[in-house]
Amino acid sequence: MRAPTCLLLLAFVAGSLFPYYWAFLVGSQDAVSMTGATLVPGGHFLDNARRVFDTVPFWRALGNSVVVAGTVTVSTVVFASLAGFAFARARFPGRDRMFRFVVATMALPTQLGIIPLYLAMAELGWAGGLQAVIVPNLVTALGVFWMRQYTLSAVPAELVDAARVDGCSLARAYWHVCLPSVRPALAALGMFTFMASWNDFLWPLVALDADHPTVQLALERLQSGHYVDYPLVLAGTTLATVPVLLVFAAFGRRGLDGAALG
Amino acid sequence: MRRQPWRVRALAIATATALITTPSACGTGIAAREPGAPLELSIATFTEFGYEDLLIEYQQKHPGIKVRHQRTGQGGTYHQQLFTRLGAGSGLTDVVAIEEGHLSDALAASRLFQDLAVIGPRDVTGNRWLDWKYAAAKARDGSLIGYGTDIGPLAMCYRVDLFAAAGLPTDPELVKPLFSSWDSYFAAGDDYAARTGKPWFDSAAQIFNAMHNQLATGYFDTDDTLVVATNPAIRQNWDAVTAATRRGQSAGLTAFSAEWEAGFRAGAFATKTCPSWMLGVIKAQAGPANAGRWAVTGAFPGGGGNWGGSYLAVPKQSAHPREAAELAAWLTAPEQQIRAFARTGNFPSQVEALTSPRLLGTVDEYFGGARTGELFAAQARKVSAPQYKGPGDGRIQEAVVTPALRAVEQGTTPEEGWRRLVQGAEKIAR
Amino acid sequence: MAAAGPGRGEDRPVRTRLAPYLLVAPFFVLFTVTGLFPLLYTGYVSLFSWDLVGDSPGFVGLANYAELLGDDRFGTALVNTLSIFLLATGPQLVVAVGVAALLDAAPRPSTGWRVAVLAPTAMSVVAVGIVFANLFGPRYGLVNAALAGLGLDPVDWQADRLAGHVAIAVMVNWRWTGYNALVVLAAMRAIPPTLYEAAIVDGAGRWRRFRHVTLPLLRPTLLFVVVTSTIGGLQVFTEPKLLDAQPGSANGGASGQFQTVALYVYQSAFETRRLGYASAVAWVLVLLVALLAWVNYRLTRRMAGVDG
Repeated sequence: MRAPTCLLLLAFVAGSLFPYYWAFLVGSQDAVSMTGATLVPGGHFLDNARRVFDTVPFWRALGNSVVVAGTVTVSTVVFASLAGFAFARARFPGRDRMFRFVVATMALPTQLGIIPLYLAMAELGWAGGLQAVIVPNLVTALGVFWMRQYTLSAVPAELVDAARVDGCSLARAYWHVCLPSVRPALAALGMFTFMASWNDFLWPLVALDADHPTVQLALERLQSGHYVDYPLVLAGTTLATVPVLLVFAAFGRRGLDGAALG
Repeated sequence: MRRQPWRVRALAIATATALITTPSACGTGIAAREPGAPLELSIATFTEFGYEDLLIEYQQKHPGIKVRHQRTGQGGTYHQQLFTRLGAGSGLTDVVAIEEGHLSDALAASRLFQDLAVIGPRDVTGNRWLDWKYAAAKARDGSLIGYGTDIGPLAMCYRVDLFAAAGLPTDPELVKPLFSSWDSYFAAGDDYAARTGKPWFDSAAQIFNAMHNQLATGYFDTDDTLVVATNPAIRQNWDAVTAATRRGQSAGLTAFSAEWEAGFRAGAFATKTCPSWMLGVIKAQAGPANAGRWAVTGAFPGGGGNWGGSYLAVPKQSAHPREAAELAAWLTAPEQQIRAFARTGNFPSQVEALTSPRLLGTVDEYFGGARTGELFAAQARKVSAPQYKGPGDGRIQEAVVTPALRAVEQGTTPEEGWRRLVQGAEKIAR
Repeated sequence: MAAAGPGRGEDRPVRTRLAPYLLVAPFFVLFTVTGLFPLLYTGYVSLFSWDLVGDSPGFVGLANYAELLGDDRFGTALVNTLSIFLLATGPQLVVAVGVAALLDAAPRPSTGWRVAVLAPTAMSVVAVGIVFANLFGPRYGLVNAALAGLGLDPVDWQADRLAGHVAIAVMVNWRWTGYNALVVLAAMRAIPPTLYEAAIVDGAGRWRRFRHVTLPLLRPTLLFVVVTSTIGGLQVFTEPKLLDAQPGSANGGASGQFQTVALYVYQSAFETRRLGYASAVAWVLVLLVALLAWVNYRLTRRMAGVDG
């Protein structure tokens, strides 16, 4: 990387990471308030982390979040890539109209969607359990949209048509022609889906009961007083972000560079 | 039929379109229990109620009962969840906690709660609680929807060092005259501001709300008519508070914001309306460096007042209302609430608990060794009969009055602020 | 797929016709429950006077929509939303493409860079709220301290309308620029190097290569980014809620000076408790978002597709 490029990127990354550093700074203080916040960490991060585990069932919450985000991620990647491929490269009546409809559904603000969704989940008998947050997110319009667009640019129509002429079924064409080319998009979608599911708050708050906390719900419970114990809360949020960054790193290493570079 | 017919119909239409093939009608009636299986009760609370040990003990005393405790951190998120589930008709626990500020909404929906006077244990009667605490949980139809847990009797906190610098008295006994009435309070504020050029209180809304709760009639009269625009006392309070604000008495720091918290450290204001639980907030925010600089005195302008405290209620969704009411009754007994007080500092609302030696012996070194147990027990008895709270009362205070006063602090004219108050209240009340 | 053995000649036409529908079926089945049902239900509720916990919803027809036309709070929220949208989404997309191009310039951008760029999106909302409340505090905030250090006047992020919009745009951009950069980067990396080599042989400079090779091939991805950012930008909810000094408030500042439409929907549903009215606002928002997303879609197609 050339020097100016590197400097520009460094500046961008510094801005991106500063709030993390600040959160860590406060998370390493021993006072309850932000009195001691300076630009040097305070050395109490591990104590605060221990208090997080003592205060809320953090391991159980981590387990639940891994189950929820993991299931949602795998399922979204599979179903979105199937639907994205069909919308991009299969020819069938009503295709474009159906697709436009998919995109249009993203326009409903989620804050209002939670009431009808809760009614539906209660009626199905799922409210309270993890399935209430898993099932509605098994595949998203955003994922389908993304996979369609990427397939359009990465999988030439001629290639698919040639495969079809050779007698390939649509499913085989998906498997042999489309899938190898869209690997980077799958990795990106996996990262984004995992993250969105991991950080979701409003819907899990309404849908889950106390026996099934996700990490974000456990973090909310750290703020249980007439005042916020900032070092405790920010130590907790820092801990909660670690798994997401690990998943980012794993996905990033695996596929993001894609087939173009072999 | 427990669920409203329109909701069932709406759902039926919707589910038909949605091609959901297995609509299981989850029963909300009295569930049949297999003999021998433990009865499971659930209870939901927010912040700290101090019930952990008590619930373990309750299960030991009642081997046939298993209690699940659902805890939420913040009151705001908790009550949003509570009212969403109340509206959806399912998902609530057998016992739910309701904070005083949200009580008016629960009272307006009293048909969704059990009347504890009917299904609760016979020996639990009104004289367990302070009169005003008990009366506030009575709905218009006379049903009792909640058992009181704790209260937040109001006193005044003030900065000793700032008072001294302004030439005001500093001894808790000697400052009492400053806090004898709202007139004397604002006069002292003018005095303080003139001598120091600094604000007297944290925010206009904190003062207005305390004044408002002392009125005989609040935003609604007892037949649920909104009287904001016609009750002269409200307008008088508004004028007094906004005038003091314009004279520089308000620090303009919104309660519970990051800046407000920093204000305790920085000495951004000299006095604070102080419910019992506020002592913990001050200690945490002002920090050890300011120990001894804050003091508390057993006086409050205009008599007494209360801010905060909760109730335990049993929603009609509960499949085990009688057992749930029994649990709520046990938890709100004086003996139990004294133990919760020892654990969390939540001030008990039970008459008997207020005379317990444990409570009366409480001393707070941070506030110059004040005998805070005695002080707040005395303040609790100064609270007059509760003001009637109509449907949406708490939301008018939070979502309309507080922003309107903030706007005045930010430069909006009191006249325009008042217009917004009336308009906003009408929107919520209809 | 493996079962496609002998006898395919007969059933193939039917299967071919059905196959695409089978591929999109999982999405549509799920979507019916989680997308269509809420959408229709919201539309249905918007025709009623419906209290969140009340017991007697009355049919009011289009009265909620009529009321909306004269509601100045809605008007304010609409203007705020568009203002924040312009301040946030435009700069964000330009910077995102720039960052993606910078990362793409490296032969193999390391995982570390990418994780760092994406990190803001991963921060828990609780932490975002605490951090930015302390950055944008009017009196004790870090940003104003920095401004004072530069000899500038402090800005009242809570009281001033435009300053509030700027603070929200900063939060939005901080959270989402890296995300969009990585989306664009993923598409850039998919462009076969041979195309660039051919362009270099033809004597094309850096800018011409970007304009005539990269941009057209990025078109589908840019469309995705523009449409999703438009939707997300017009539904901004979390950031203005976090900026408000009154915890939990949906008022968007003391005078609603930075209340967005999505925040107004929330306030109408959960504070004013008028579910019917909130649903009407939500439906208008849906139409507005769809319209603007469509306009931006057309614009992007034209801009990126000249030689496409």
